Amino acid sequence: MTAQRIDLPQGTLDLLILRTLGLQPQHGWAISERIQQISSDVLRVQQGSLYPALHRLERRGWIKARWGTSDNNRRAKYYELTKSGRRQLEAEKVAWDKLTAAVAQVLGTA
Amino acid sequence: MFSVLWLRVRAVFRRKSVETELDEELGSHLERQVEKYVQGGLSREEAIPRARAEFGGVELAKEECRDARGVRFLETLLQDARYGLRVLRKSPGFAAVAVVTLALAIGADTSIFSAVYAVLLKPLPFKDSNRLVFIEKKNPPRGWTRNPISPAEILAWREQSGALEDVAAYTLSDCVLTGAAEAEEDPCETISSNLFPLLGVNPILGRTFSADEDKPEGPRVAILSYGLWQRRFAGDENVIGRAMDIDGASYTVVGVMPSDFSHLYDPPQSQYDTLSDAGAALWLAGIGLSPVHAWNDYFGIGRLKTGINLQEAAVRMDAVSARIDTLIPELKGWRAQLLSLREMNAGDTRPALLVLMGAVLFVLLIACANIANLFLARGAGRANEFAVRSALGAGQGRIVRQLLTESLVVSMSGGALGVLLASWGCKALVALAPAFLLKSVPSLGTLNLQVLCFALVTVMLTTLFFGLAPALQAARPHSTETLKETGRSSSQSPRSRRFRNALVVSEIALAMVLLIGAGLMVRTLAQLSRVNLGFNPSNVLTLRVPLSGERYTEPQARVQFWERLLSAVESLRNVESASVSRGLPIYGWNGQFFTTADDPNPPAGHVPDANYIIVSPNYFRVLRIPMRKGRSFSDQDTQSSERVAIVNEMLARTYWPGEDPLGKQLRVGGQGPWLTVVGVAENVLSQGPADRAHAEIYVPYQQYPWLLGGPKHLLVRTSAAAKPESLVHAVVREIHRLDKDQPVADTVTLEQYAAAPLAQERLVMTLLLSFAGLALVLSTLGIYSVLSYAIAQRTREIGLRMALGAEQGSVLKLVVGGGATLALFGIGAGIAAALALTRLMADLLYGVRGTDPTTFAVVTLILGATSLLACYVPARRAMRVDPMVALRYE
Repeated sequence: MTAQRIDLPQGTLDLLILRTLGLQPQHGWAISERIQQISSDVLRVQQGSLYPALHRLERRGWIKARWGTSDNNRRAKYYELTKSGRRQLEAEKVAWDKLTAAVAQVLGTA
Repeated sequence: MFSVLWLRVRAVFRRKSVETELDEELGSHLERQVEKYVQGGLSREEAIPRARAEFGGVELAKEECRDARGVRFLETLLQDARYGLRVLRKSPGFAAVAVVTLALAIGADTSIFSAVYAVLLKPLPFKDSNRLVFIEKKNPPRGWTRNPISPAEILAWREQSGALEDVAAYTLSDCVLTGAAEAEEDPCETISSNLFPLLGVNPILGRTFSADEDKPEGPRVAILSYGLWQRRFAGDENVIGRAMDIDGASYTVVGVMPSDFSHLYDPPQSQYDTLSDAGAALWLAGIGLSPVHAWNDYFGIGRLKTGINLQEAAVRMDAVSARIDTLIPELKGWRAQLLSLREMNAGDTRPALLVLMGAVLFVLLIACANIANLFLARGAGRANEFAVRSALGAGQGRIVRQLLTESLVVSMSGGALGVLLASWGCKALVALAPAFLLKSVPSLGTLNLQVLCFALVTVMLTTLFFGLAPALQAARPHSTETLKETGRSSSQSPRSRRFRNALVVSEIALAMVLLIGAGLMVRTLAQLSRVNLGFNPSNVLTLRVPLSGERYTEPQARVQFWERLLSAVESLRNVESASVSRGLPIYGWNGQFFTTADDPNPPAGHVPDANYIIVSPNYFRVLRIPMRKGRSFSDQDTQSSERVAIVNEMLARTYWPGEDPLGKQLRVGGQGPWLTVVGVAENVLSQGPADRAHAEIYVPYQQYPWLLGGPKHLLVRTSAAAKPESLVHAVVREIHRLDKDQPVADTVTLEQYAAAPLAQERLVMTLLLSFAGLALVLSTLGIYSVLSYAIAQRTREIGLRMALGAEQGSVLKLVVGGGATLALFGIGAGIAAALALTRLMADLLYGVRGTDPTTFAVVTLILGATSLLACYVPARRAMRVDPMVALRYE
């Protein structure tokens, strides 16, 4: 645990969840693990806020849930992207890229 | 989109399973986290708290998940509804009264308004039905109305008036159908070929008549009604072109009319109109109208030209009639009488329906006032509860929603019950409605959805509005004041008390008006049933036996048939006497002109007329019509003996005033032999009890077997012990023993006939009585609830008074006095309103005036007594207040 962890900025959790699910269907714990893993342990998902986010995305129709069995035969609730979720992911990715580029530009010139 | 909806619905209604899933999901997350730490080298005991700490509050997360699902609103709504139900269960009296009031108001209103709509407002199923007029004629100088018209007039009005696009004509008769199936007699109409096109009605099979079939000697063709087609031809699609025997002649079937085409132009009270008549069964061609025929045997239906109303048409047609006066003396003095087809079908039910509509409106108002009162009293009583709740942090919106849901629960249950009552009420109305109305308005029993919605919305809005009023009051910032007043004291502001008192007063006033209306109808019916009809209708069975066909073309064959039948029937057990007649009292007016030997040539237009009745000798015995003078007919009055007649007192008094009518001579129809009057019979009210007596002439059937088709009605008086209905079988067997092909129709007791003219009055009375009863109950409940509430509010005050030495009597006086004042105001206002309003029901009253003091006095007594009773119950409760308990409450 060498890298310093940072909390997620507001509004980015949804994007990360969508992105993670874009690879393959996952259950909640695996999603948080995966985000942490890919970000080389930099991003820490506040676990308490992961589930409300999942339920919110489900309500918006971007992801859907089904019960399945996991690695060691345990029941788990799997989330996967829906078609509109995939479109949303694309849109948010574009928006995010624009945002980061703009922020970087401001920071670089100031 | 759909799955999202499902998600929400599931979240609300399958809340339990959703919660379990959430528990499981979060639980498995924690479990995995713990495992991860255990794999990392921690002991389970260390891993569990760590995982929990990392996760944060599990309950908080769950709550956020629920929020994220967006179902909070619905959930709290359900919570409110559950709470509302619980609260209502705690005050079942309030809930029951409110729900029943709503249900009764909705039920009564919807069924009556549905009937009003069906009869007065619903468009008839004809093309441009508002331009269709029913044409009869009247003779103003002589006071005759609604007579059939003649071909000469029909053609002249059609060609010359310029008011009518077209006029169709028809005549009524009874046809005997013979052939393969059992012989039957059915009402049928000979119609002009333009009748169906004029109405815009098409046959479902075949065609309507063509113009060249109008000629009387044209091809014999017939169109079947749907009912006859089903009954006699089993709905055979290939019926077109088939032959059928009608009145002994062979006709070809050319068409079948649709099932919903009903007998919409049958003149009520016509001589063919009988109780069991279900409209024409078939239509025949060959009407053969001729411009010179003055036979008054026809009815007309016309279509007004665009832009011409009923009055203008009447003026133009009168101008034509004035020309006819000079050309055809027999038609002198007659003028067209026009009725819109709707009025025609509604008969004279319009005033009754309007009165009933007013009555249900009153009931609706009373119900709304009652609901308002109930909710206001209840809301004021709960001021404390709301103050506590808002002090504990409930927002105003939350309290409003709570009350709204309670009102909704009440109004929904009331509404549901009301819908049930309404559909039941519609059926009940059909059972009560006069026969002719059912016939001409087949949609009478149909529940009108718009009306139902109107009633539901009105009553529910009232419920919601007054359900909310206390919430708006309660949620004001002064709720701490309410709390300080320590609950039980008077939180009722003078303004809201005055408003509620006004509601009670108006309820009583409305109830008073309804009670007076009902009372007047009761008196009317009592008067009408007290009227001496001039004959005794009890224990008489009537049957219609047409005696047509080739076997009876010889007059003597008819006389023989009747003589044999009468003696056979009279020898049956339980039969006291029997007779035949053409025409029945109550039904069967058959007006004929006559002249007396004293005045053999009256000027045209002043020829006297009388109801002309052909009877067998026992007629007067069977009907118990007393002879005032002279003798009755006997078997000695035959074709070879002197021609005789019996007149009624009315005729004798009018045409031979102060003279002895016996031996006087008269003749019927302006020709034929002179008849000698041998007897004077008592007057019979042949048009029902509400009418006056008319002149009547009786002749013996043996002397006139050939006239007008001869007698048709068999009348059988049974012994007092036997019910007339029980003899139908035996009598029909005797008829069929003489002629097995003879159809028998309309086996009806004379009592049923006699009751028919009162059917409408009886219906109005029954309904008004039930509405008035309802109003009485509701307004009594109104007084009761207001007083009960006031006493509950003043328990402390009353306790204090009693502790200070007030007698029970003075407490009683205090409470009852308050209620009695309200009742007095209500009764006073009610009397004033009734004096103004009962004038509107003058058309329905008989033998009693709209301001009948007896009715007013009795109703005042009834309402006063029930009001006092409503005061007394809560007053007794007040008297039993234990001062100690009341004061300790604080």
